Amino acid sequence: MTLQAYLLVGAALFVIGLFGVLARRNVLTVLMSIELIFNAANLNLVAFNRFAHPGQPWGQGFALFIIAIAAAEAVVGLALVLALYRNFRTVLTENFDLLKG
Amino acid sequence: MIEMAVFALLAVLTIVPAALVVTVKNIFHAALFLVLSLTGVAGFFAMLGADFLFVVQILLYAGGITVILLFVVLLSGSPKDWLIRQMNEQWLGALAASAVFVAVLAGLFQYLPGPESISAVGPTTELLGVLLLREMVLPFEAVSLVLLAALVGAVLFTRRGEGK
Repeated sequence: MTLQAYLLVGAALFVIGLFGVLARRNVLTVLMSIELIFNAANLNLVAFNRFAHPGQPWGQGFALFIIAIAAAEAVVGLALVLALYRNFRTVLTENFDLLKG
Repeated sequence: MIEMAVFALLAVLTIVPAALVVTVKNIFHAALFLVLSLTGVAGFFAMLGADFLFVVQILLYAGGITVILLFVVLLSGSPKDWLIRQMNEQWLGALAASAVFVAVLAGLFQYLPGPESISAVGPTTELLGVLLLREMVLPFEAVSLVLLAALVGAVLFTRRGEGK
Protein backbone atom coordinates (compact mmCIF):
# COMPACT_ATOMS: atom_id res chain seq x y z
CA MET A 1 0.00 0.00 0.00
CA THR A 2 1.14 3.55 -0.67
CA LEU A 3 1.55 6.42 1.74
CA GLN A 4 -1.33 8.25 0.05
CA ALA A 5 -3.78 5.48 0.92
CA TYR A 6 -3.00 5.76 4.64
CA LEU A 7 -3.14 9.56 4.51
CA LEU A 8 -6.54 9.35 2.79
CA VAL A 9 -7.91 7.24 5.65
CA GLY A 10 -6.39 9.68 8.14
CA ALA A 11 -7.95 12.64 6.32
CA ALA A 12 -11.34 10.93 6.25
CA LEU A 13 -11.16 10.26 10.00
CA PHE A 14 -10.15 13.86 10.65
CA VAL A 15 -12.97 15.36 8.58
CA ILE A 16 -15.54 13.09 10.23
CA GLY A 17 -14.20 14.16 13.64
CA LEU A 18 -14.31 17.83 12.61
CA PHE A 19 -17.94 17.49 11.53
CA GLY A 20 -18.77 15.78 14.83
CA VAL A 21 -17.15 18.54 16.89
CA LEU A 22 -19.02 21.25 14.98
CA ALA A 23 -22.44 19.66 14.58
CA ARG A 24 -23.23 17.50 17.63
CA ARG A 25 -25.28 18.84 20.52
CA ASN A 26 -24.15 16.35 23.14
CA VAL A 27 -20.86 17.15 24.86
CA LEU A 28 -20.04 13.44 25.06
CA THR A 29 -20.18 12.94 21.30
CA VAL A 30 -18.02 16.05 20.89
CA LEU A 31 -15.42 14.30 23.07
CA MET A 32 -15.78 11.13 20.96
CA SER A 33 -15.18 13.19 17.80
CA ILE A 34 -12.04 14.65 19.38
CA GLU A 35 -10.82 11.08 19.95
CA LEU A 36 -11.39 10.43 16.23
CA ILE A 37 -9.24 13.48 15.38
CA PHE A 38 -6.46 12.24 17.69
CA ASN A 39 -6.56 8.89 15.93
CA ALA A 40 -6.32 10.53 12.51
CA ALA A 41 -3.19 12.37 13.67
CA ASN A 42 -1.68 9.16 15.07
CA LEU A 43 -2.38 7.27 11.87
CA ASN A 44 -0.65 9.98 9.82
CA LEU A 45 2.37 10.04 12.15
CA VAL A 46 2.84 6.28 12.03
CA ALA A 47 2.33 6.18 8.24
CA PHE A 48 4.90 8.94 7.67
CA ASN A 49 7.27 7.14 10.04
CA ARG A 50 6.92 3.91 8.08
CA PHE A 51 7.31 5.39 4.61
CA ALA A 52 9.69 8.32 5.16
CA HIS A 53 11.94 7.11 8.00
CA PRO A 54 11.78 3.32 8.34
CA GLY A 55 13.97 1.96 11.12
CA GLN A 56 13.71 5.12 13.24
CA PRO A 57 10.67 4.97 15.54
CA TRP A 58 10.37 8.72 16.27
CA GLY A 59 6.93 8.97 14.70
CA GLN A 60 5.72 6.02 16.74
CA GLY A 61 7.17 7.58 19.89
CA PHE A 62 5.24 10.76 19.13
CA ALA A 63 2.06 8.75 18.56
CA LEU A 64 2.60 7.07 21.93
CA PHE A 65 2.79 10.48 23.65
CA ILE A 66 -0.36 11.61 21.83
CA ILE A 67 -2.17 8.51 23.11
CA ALA A 68 -1.03 9.30 26.68
CA ILE A 69 -2.15 12.93 26.39
CA ALA A 70 -5.45 11.81 24.84
CA ALA A 71 -6.05 9.50 27.80
CA ALA A 72 -5.39 12.37 30.23
CA GLU A 73 -7.65 14.66 28.18
CA ALA A 74 -10.45 12.10 28.11
CA VAL A 75 -10.30 11.52 31.87
CA VAL A 76 -10.33 15.23 32.74
CA GLY A 77 -12.94 16.00 30.04
CA LEU A 78 -15.29 13.29 31.24
CA ALA A 79 -14.85 14.39 34.86
CA LEU A 80 -15.81 17.90 33.76
CA VAL A 81 -18.86 16.54 31.92
CA LEU A 82 -19.95 14.75 35.09
CA ALA A 83 -19.48 17.95 37.14
CA LEU A 84 -21.44 19.92 34.52
CA TYR A 85 -24.24 17.37 34.54
CA ARG A 86 -24.41 17.53 38.31
CA ASN A 87 -24.74 21.34 38.26
CA PHE A 88 -26.84 21.95 35.14
CA ARG A 89 -28.73 18.62 34.76
CA THR A 90 -27.91 18.65 31.05
CA VAL A 91 -25.11 17.58 28.71
CA LEU A 92 -26.22 19.63 25.70
CA THR A 93 -23.67 22.22 24.63
CA GLU A 94 -26.19 25.02 23.91
CA ASN A 95 -27.23 25.05 27.59
CA PHE A 96 -23.74 25.91 28.85
CA ASP A 97 -24.19 29.67 28.33
CA LEU A 98 -23.23 31.24 31.67
CA LEU A 99 -20.73 33.54 29.93
CA LYS A 100 -23.26 34.74 27.35
CA GLY A 101 -23.82 38.51 27.66
CA MET B 1 -3.42 -8.48 -3.49
CA ILE B 2 -4.12 -9.78 0.03
CA GLU B 3 -2.62 -6.57 1.44
CA MET B 4 -5.03 -4.52 -0.69
CA ALA B 5 -7.99 -6.58 0.53
CA VAL B 6 -6.95 -6.24 4.19
CA PHE B 7 -6.45 -2.50 3.73
CA ALA B 8 -9.89 -2.07 2.14
CA LEU B 9 -11.49 -4.10 4.94
CA LEU B 10 -9.73 -2.02 7.62
CA ALA B 11 -10.65 1.22 5.85
CA VAL B 12 -14.33 0.23 5.88
CA LEU B 13 -14.05 -0.94 9.51
CA THR B 14 -12.53 2.44 10.46
CA ILE B 15 -14.49 4.98 8.43
CA VAL B 16 -18.04 3.58 8.45
CA PRO B 17 -18.28 3.31 12.28
CA ALA B 18 -16.58 6.73 12.55
CA ALA B 19 -19.28 8.24 10.33
CA LEU B 20 -21.91 6.47 12.46
CA VAL B 21 -20.36 7.92 15.66
CA VAL B 22 -21.16 11.45 14.46
CA THR B 23 -24.54 10.70 12.89
CA VAL B 24 -26.27 8.09 15.03
CA LYS B 25 -28.90 9.35 17.47
CA ASN B 26 -28.28 7.09 20.46
CA ILE B 27 -25.03 8.18 22.14
CA PHE B 28 -24.58 4.78 23.79
CA HIS B 29 -24.46 3.25 20.31
CA ALA B 30 -22.11 6.05 19.22
CA ALA B 31 -19.66 5.04 21.98
CA LEU B 32 -19.87 1.38 20.87
CA PHE B 33 -19.22 2.38 17.24
CA LEU B 34 -16.22 4.34 18.47
CA VAL B 35 -14.74 1.05 19.78
CA LEU B 36 -15.06 -0.46 16.29
CA SER B 37 -13.45 2.54 14.62
CA LEU B 38 -10.52 2.62 17.07
CA THR B 39 -9.99 -1.12 16.53
CA GLY B 40 -9.76 -0.41 12.80
CA VAL B 41 -7.03 2.17 13.47
CA ALA B 42 -5.24 -0.46 15.58
CA GLY B 43 -5.35 -2.73 12.53
CA PHE B 44 -3.69 -0.01 10.46
CA PHE B 45 -0.97 0.28 13.11
CA ALA B 46 -0.37 -3.47 12.75
CA MET B 47 -0.18 -3.10 8.94
CA LEU B 48 2.37 -0.30 9.34
CA GLY B 49 4.59 -2.47 11.52
CA ALA B 50 3.91 -0.55 14.75
CA ASP B 51 3.32 -3.60 16.91
CA PHE B 52 3.64 -1.83 20.26
CA LEU B 53 1.22 0.91 19.24
CA PHE B 54 -1.22 -1.78 18.07
CA VAL B 55 -1.31 -3.28 21.57
CA VAL B 56 -1.49 0.14 23.25
CA GLN B 57 -4.33 1.21 20.95
CA ILE B 58 -6.40 -1.88 21.81
CA LEU B 59 -5.63 -1.74 25.55
CA LEU B 60 -5.89 1.99 26.12
CA TYR B 61 -8.31 3.28 23.49
CA ALA B 62 -10.63 0.41 22.64
CA GLY B 63 -10.39 -0.88 26.21
CA GLY B 64 -9.81 1.94 28.67
CA ILE B 65 -11.06 5.22 27.24
CA THR B 66 -14.28 3.81 25.76
CA VAL B 67 -15.15 2.07 29.05
CA ILE B 68 -14.84 5.43 30.89
CA LEU B 69 -16.87 6.99 28.08
CA LEU B 70 -19.62 4.38 28.48
CA PHE B 71 -19.64 4.93 32.26
CA VAL B 72 -20.12 8.68 31.78
CA VAL B 73 -22.81 8.12 29.12
CA LEU B 74 -24.72 6.03 31.66
CA LEU B 75 -24.10 8.43 34.56
CA SER B 76 -25.09 11.64 32.74
CA GLY B 77 -28.74 11.38 31.85
CA SER B 78 -31.40 8.75 31.45
CA PRO B 79 -32.10 6.64 28.34
CA LYS B 80 -34.86 9.03 27.28
CA ASP B 81 -32.21 11.73 26.77
CA TRP B 82 -30.71 9.52 24.07
CA LEU B 83 -33.80 9.91 21.91
CA ILE B 84 -33.70 13.69 21.43
CA ARG B 85 -32.31 15.47 18.36
CA GLN B 86 -28.51 15.22 18.39
CA MET B 87 -27.53 17.71 15.69
CA ASN B 88 -27.43 21.44 16.46
CA GLU B 89 -28.70 24.22 14.17
CA GLN B 90 -25.28 24.71 12.58
CA TRP B 91 -24.96 21.21 11.18
CA LEU B 92 -25.35 22.42 7.59
CA GLY B 93 -22.57 24.94 8.11
CA ALA B 94 -20.46 22.22 9.71
CA LEU B 95 -21.07 20.00 6.70
CA ALA B 96 -20.03 22.85 4.38
CA ALA B 97 -16.85 23.50 6.42
CA SER B 98 -15.99 19.78 6.30
CA ALA B 99 -16.58 19.72 2.53
CA VAL B 100 -14.27 22.71 2.05
CA PHE B 101 -11.64 20.93 4.13
CA VAL B 102 -12.00 17.79 1.97
CA ALA B 103 -11.55 19.94 -1.16
CA VAL B 104 -8.39 21.57 0.25
CA LEU B 105 -6.93 18.17 1.23
CA ALA B 106 -7.78 16.69 -2.18
CA GLY B 107 -5.97 19.63 -3.79
CA LEU B 108 -2.92 18.97 -1.60
CA PHE B 109 -2.69 15.25 -2.32
CA GLN B 110 -1.22 15.76 -5.80
CA TYR B 111 1.89 17.34 -4.28
CA LEU B 112 2.74 14.26 -2.23
CA PRO B 113 5.73 12.19 -3.36
CA GLY B 114 4.84 8.99 -5.14
CA PRO B 115 5.05 5.52 -3.58
CA GLU B 116 8.51 4.54 -2.46
CA SER B 117 10.04 1.15 -1.96
CA ILE B 118 9.96 0.32 1.72
CA SER B 119 11.82 -2.17 3.84
CA ALA B 120 10.25 -5.25 5.38
CA VAL B 121 8.05 -4.88 8.46
CA GLY B 122 9.91 -5.68 11.64
CA PRO B 123 9.10 -5.42 15.34
CA THR B 124 9.74 -1.92 16.69
CA THR B 125 9.05 -2.42 20.41
CA GLU B 126 12.73 -2.64 21.32
CA LEU B 127 13.64 0.42 19.23
CA LEU B 128 10.76 2.34 20.79
CA GLY B 129 11.82 1.39 24.31
CA VAL B 130 15.39 2.55 23.68
CA LEU B 131 14.09 5.79 22.16
CA LEU B 132 11.78 6.48 25.12
CA LEU B 133 14.47 5.96 27.75
CA ARG B 134 17.28 7.67 25.87
CA GLU B 135 16.45 10.56 23.52
CA MET B 136 12.88 11.06 24.72
CA VAL B 137 13.44 10.61 28.45
CA LEU B 138 12.52 14.21 29.34
CA PRO B 139 9.11 14.17 27.58
CA PHE B 140 8.62 10.68 29.03
CA GLU B 141 8.98 12.03 32.58
CA ALA B 142 6.88 15.09 31.72
CA VAL B 143 4.02 12.95 30.44
CA SER B 144 4.01 10.95 33.68
CA LEU B 145 3.55 14.25 35.52
CA VAL B 146 0.70 15.14 33.13
CA LEU B 147 -0.99 11.80 33.85
CA LEU B 148 -0.67 12.39 37.61
CA ALA B 149 -2.16 15.87 37.21
CA ALA B 150 -5.03 14.42 35.15
CA LEU B 151 -5.69 11.82 37.86
CA VAL B 152 -5.79 14.45 40.62
CA GLY B 153 -7.84 16.78 38.42
CA ALA B 154 -10.43 14.10 37.69
CA VAL B 155 -10.84 13.37 41.39
CA LEU B 156 -11.07 17.11 42.15
CA PHE B 157 -13.73 17.78 39.51
CA THR B 158 -15.96 14.82 40.32
CA ARG B 159 -16.02 14.96 44.12
CA ARG B 160 -19.16 16.36 45.61
CA GLY B 161 -18.67 19.78 47.21
CA GLU B 162 -18.88 19.03 50.93
CA GLY B 163 -20.43 21.51 53.35
CA LYS B 164 -21.78 23.79 50.62
